[in-house]
Formats: sequence, C-alpha cells, structure tokens
Amino acid sequence: MDESLRQVTAEDLEAIEIGAAILGTGGGGNPYIGKLRCRKELRKGRQINIIPLHELSDDAWVVSLGGIGAPVVGVEKIEQGEECLRALYALEEETGHKIDAVISSEIGGANAMEPMLTGAQAGIPVVDGDGMGRAFPEMQMCTWSIYGHKSTPSAMADEKGSIIIIRDTTSEIALERFARATVVEMGAAGAIALAPMRGSFVKRYAIPNTVTQALQLGQSVLESQINNSDPISTILEKEDGQLLMTGKIIDLERHLKGGFAVGHVNVEGFGDFHGKLGEIYLQNEFLVFKLDGEVRACVPDLIIVLEADTGLPITTEMLRYGQRVAILVLPCHDLLRSEEALGVIGPAAFGYPEIIYTPLVRNSSREGN
Amino acid sequence: MAANPINEIRLEDMDNIALGGAFLGTGGGGDPYIGRLMSEQAIRENGPVKVLNVDSLDDDALVVPIAMMGAPTVMLEKLPRGDEARAALTSLENYLGHKADAVFCIEAGGLNSTIPIAVAASAKLPIIDGDGMGRAFPELQMVSMTIQNIAACPMVIADEKGNSLVLNTVDNLSTEKFARVITVEMGGTGLVALYPMTGAEAKKAVLRGSLSLIHSIGKIIYTEQSVNRNPAERLKSELNGISLFEGRVIDVERRTEGGFARGMAKIEGIGTHDGNTLILRFQNEFLMAETKQGEVRAMTPDLICLLDLETGSPITTEQIRYGFRVIVFGLPCDPQWRSEKGLELVGPRYFGYDQEYAPIESINC
Repeated sequence: MDESLRQVTAEDLEAIEIGAAILGTGGGGNPYIGKLRCRKELRKGRQINIIPLHELSDDAWVVSLGGIGAPVVGVEKIEQGEECLRALYALEEETGHKIDAVISSEIGGANAMEPMLTGAQAGIPVVDGDGMGRAFPEMQMCTWSIYGHKSTPSAMADEKGSIIIIRDTTSEIALERFARATVVEMGAAGAIALAPMRGSFVKRYAIPNTVTQALQLGQSVLESQINNSDPISTILEKEDGQLLMTGKIIDLERHLKGGFAVGHVNVEGFGDFHGKLGEIYLQNEFLVFKLDGEVRACVPDLIIVLEADTGLPITTEMLRYGQRVAILVLPCHDLLRSEEALGVIGPAAFGYPEIIYTPLVRNSSREGN
Repeated sequence: MAANPINEIRLEDMDNIALGGAFLGTGGGGDPYIGRLMSEQAIRENGPVKVLNVDSLDDDALVVPIAMMGAPTVMLEKLPRGDEARAALTSLENYLGHKADAVFCIEAGGLNSTIPIAVAASAKLPIIDGDGMGRAFPELQMVSMTIQNIAACPMVIADEKGNSLVLNTVDNLSTEKFARVITVEMGGTGLVALYPMTGAEAKKAVLRGSLSLIHSIGKIIYTEQSVNRNPAERLKSELNGISLFEGRVIDVERRTEGGFARGMAKIEGIGTHDGNTLILRFQNEFLMAETKQGEVRAMTPDLICLLDLETGSPITTEQIRYGFRVIVFGLPCDPQWRSEKGLELVGPRYFGYDQEYAPIESINC
C-alpha cells in the first residue's frame, strides 16, 4: 500500500486511537492514556517513525512489547510513562543486542500506542504490523509464539521501578503464567518486552500493516462523523466485514475471574433485527456471538461492538444496560486461521469446544490487510 | 553456648547439621531429611566443604546466600531435582558478570542449612560460618542484610522444571512479594540465589558462628539420643533455653495459603502442665505461643522450638500431627531482632498480632 504511514502526527494519533479500539474487539485496554503520552513526546520534538515490514532488514533485532494486566486497572493506576522503555533497556542489557525497532504485540487497544511511545522515547522506528491483528487476553496467543518464537528472556517493568526478567521457561504458556503472576503483584498493570526477534521472522509472521489499518479505520469514523454519514457501513466496506446485529443491551453479566473480565451480554434487536436476541460471550475480548441461539461469529474473527449512532467502539468494561449498539464481524488475517493458530486462539482454546470455527468469507479478494 | 568452630564439613557432619538446623529453624526452614540427602550426595561426589570465618574474606569478594523458598508443606512432596540451586547461583553469576567466592545460609533450617552446603560442594566454593537470621523466618526480607541496607536484588529464582527469573525490584519487601507469587506459580517452592554482597558487606551483616552452633546442637541431640536421654535438658542448659510446655498435640489446623504453610497447633498439657493448653501459631515458622486464655508465653522474634518428647528431635510445622507428644522450647533471639528496626521487620505486629513485643526471658522469669 503506497498510502502507508511513515511518520505519525498528533492528528494521526486521534485516528489510531479509534481504530485501535475498534480492532481491540472489546479488549486490549483503553488507548487514551497512551495517546496522551505519545502526543507529549511529539510536543517535545521527538518523532514516531513507522517502518513498513518490507523495509525491515532480515538481521534487524525487533522487540515486541506492550502493557500487560487487567484493562480495568489501567484506567485507575495510570502508567508512569517509561515502563516499556525500561523493559526494553533491561532486555537489551540481558541479551546484549541493540534493538533496531519495536513492534506492537497487539494492535487492538492500548498496546497500539505503547510501541509508538517507546519508539519515540528510544529513538527507534515502529514496525507497521503486530502480533495479533486484534487483541487477545494472553501472550502465547500472538503469532510470534504460535509460529515458534521463544519469548524468553522477557523483561517486565512497573511504574515503581521494579524489573523482573523471565530468563527461561518451559513453554510460552509458562511464560504467560509467570508474567501474569508478576503483573498481579505489580498491581495488575505493568509492561513487558519479549525476547528480540530477527527481521526475517517478523516479516514472515507479523500481521502486516496494522498500524496503517488502525489509522485508516479511525479516519473513516472521524470523516463520517463530520459528513454525517453512516460510519458502520464505511467500516464494513473498508474491512470486508458483516453486520451481525443492531440492538439494545438488555442484560449484562461481567465479573473478574482469574485476572480477566469474563461475562456475557444480551442484546435485543431493533431495525432489521427486531424480535431477535443476540448474545455475546466475552473474556476481556468478545469471543462468540450467537443470534437466536445460533453461533454467527467466533474467535479468531473480530467481533466488534460499536455505538450505533457514532460508530465509536465500546470496550467490554464500558458496556452498560440500555446502550444501542451495532455488532460487526471482520475477517481475521490468514495467519490466525492455520491449524497451529486455531489450537491456541480458536473457540476451543477459550472453552467453547462445541463451536467449529468457520472462517468469515471475504467479499472481495484483497491482499495484505 | 560456645560452639566449637568447624573448619570443614565432611559427610559425617551432615546428620548433625541437618538436625541442628531443623532445631534452630523453629519449625521452618524445611525438612532435614531431604536436605541431608542432597548435601551428602554432593559431598560424596565432590569432597568436603571448607568453612570460612566471614572475617577472613577479602572486602571485594562476592558472597551469595542460597536457599529454598516456599511452603514447607509443598517441599515434602515436590522434591528439588537437585541441580536447580546451583543453576540459580550460576544464573546470578552470569547476570553479575562475576564468580561467587563463597556462599552461605540465609537462615537456619533443615533444608536451608544444608542446600547451601550441597551447592558449595558442587561449585567447589567455601561456605561462611554464619547466616542472616540466627533462626528461620518466613519472608526473605527478614534478614540482617535488610537491617544493614543490603539489597536482596539482583535475585535469581529457579525451579526443578527449568524456569528461571531475575528480580531487580525497588526494595527488599517488594522482592519478597514478587518472589512469593513466583514460587506459587512454580508450584509452591523455588530455589533462590539472592543478596549478592561484597566481603565487606558480609562482615557487617552475617551473624557469626551459626553453622558451628547448628553443628553442636545436632551433636548434642544425637549424643543424648544415643544414651537414651532426652536432649532437652542439655539443650536447655547449653543454650540458656526455657522449657515452655510439655504435652500432647490435640488439634492441628494447617493450610498452604499465599505460598506459606499457615495454621496453628493446640497442645494439651501433661505432667506438670496437666490441665493447661498451649496454642502455637505459625507461618512456616512458629511465631506465637499462647495459652488458651490468650496469655502469651513466647513470641517472634524469639525462637519457639518444638521437640519430640521421647527423642528430642525437632518437629517442623509441616510435620506436626495429632497425638504427637512434644516439648515446647523457647530461646532468646539474636539481639539485633530486638532493636526498633529488627522488630519492625519481624516483630509480632508485622505478622498481624496485636501485641507489644516482650522478651521471652522477661515473660517467663
């Protein structure tokens, strides 16, 4: 794509914030605070430089990093601002590699902003791509882990100045467990930088162009607000998605379980969906959507809940009784649809073994994103 | 007690050290049986371990205590694989870019007095005659090093499966909190190398002579047992100990919680204590001994030791069972723990008991 992003401006940040939240599929945390931090860096004269995947050199060292923890906590315990940077430096020291670029572990939500913040602070570019193309609740669910990267050593940092290096674990899931236990002790929000990857690996397994994708998604929502056009149909058209339902939230059950926001939402249809009942099952992100008891969409495809009027995304922690919503599904990238990937991020991996994943068909054949 | 200083730890010393360690471990510090076997194996393979007086260290030497961390209840079932303590030390050495010159025991205890010996044997390093507590305490910041402002970090924690982490936190209490959740994730226990310090720092912080003392205590217990005498009497006179109670265990409440073995044991008096009941409360170690009426007879940081009434062998908190006939024995703690800073770290209030600390001698005079 020629219109791909090279340098992020303050206006771009506004659009990326919206786009990232949409790609967060209900989770991934709120990008708002990260946006403010990035804006501050720009004001200081620093730059957020974006490097497209194909320009990455094969032997470059790339670090995937971001925040880790419960999104609900991130809203109250505001990050100090240099957690990811400290984690990056600790990792450089541990591995002895000078890091050439950073990349988001998940483009969905707050972690779209973290690499841009760290990149600006450290003076290194951000790769246009990420490890999920959306958001997922656990770290082993990123393409790096799925396609064989060993994420140890990883470095974690909190706002108080503590650094924990996870030097070696028996598996990617064990890494997730140790990181999760550590972040709970950090007060449920911290930063993690995963073992450096070679440029050649990143080029092959990153979900491509997702920073640009977030930017463009956000731009189309902002434009439709200005033009008073319908943002939902713009998104669907742009992203090859389908409208699952429009309706009103009539019941909401959400609780914290094992560090995750887990629950279930009932939506009563209106408009074309009058008389129908929609159900969404969530664990930080929206995982499964049923219409009148029948599964219509599930992970790893992206289930997205938008405010029906504005097209602005609603995250799982912001769901309220009475909200009028549009529920969309967007196709996930093919890297998430392989057998290896579905074993980690398919419906069975989230506790829905009865659901068989049927890939959402794209209307048009499109390359890349 | 003036213990004969030991210069070398040989195979035949291990019985004494494991048992003496369990005695001073005040119920914690792990099972002496496993620790003895591990260090015996290491000595058999690598030869005896040299014991150093801390004052003979170079000021710029690197000294590292090594320990097992976690819930003793778990240690009984989840045995160390054997090489993870050494792996923790090596990992810390790599991090620091320095080889250790000596190791030492962070605390007294059946396991924690012996694991460092196993590591010393396999790494061919000397061990310092001293420790950081003069007893055992449940949390890692509860050491003389904290009083001397020596940081626990960088610290390495490793488990038997091959997981290992390096901690670099802001203070020793937060090191404990992070390390504790990590041990829980490791299945309840992990092996740690921490408080890397210079020889000069070690001279300030190490409580001297504890290995020799532990060795002598173990020897007394074995000698007395071999002539069918209960060691309690000799221990009492040699250590200025106080016999607090004799009785039978009639109730044990024990749970593995938050990475610790917590609970209480109720002891019904026999002999001169007939009609009375003593309650021991513990978090890995015994922290509080009080009567049924709530009258405190001994409290942390003084040592509360539980001995088998017949054999005089120490009983650890994870091993107490209904029906055991026991002696409860008290010892004054190292004077540093009675300072303001010491009591802040390990006094009754830290553990949630609403009690002003009173020395065991003054309670039981």
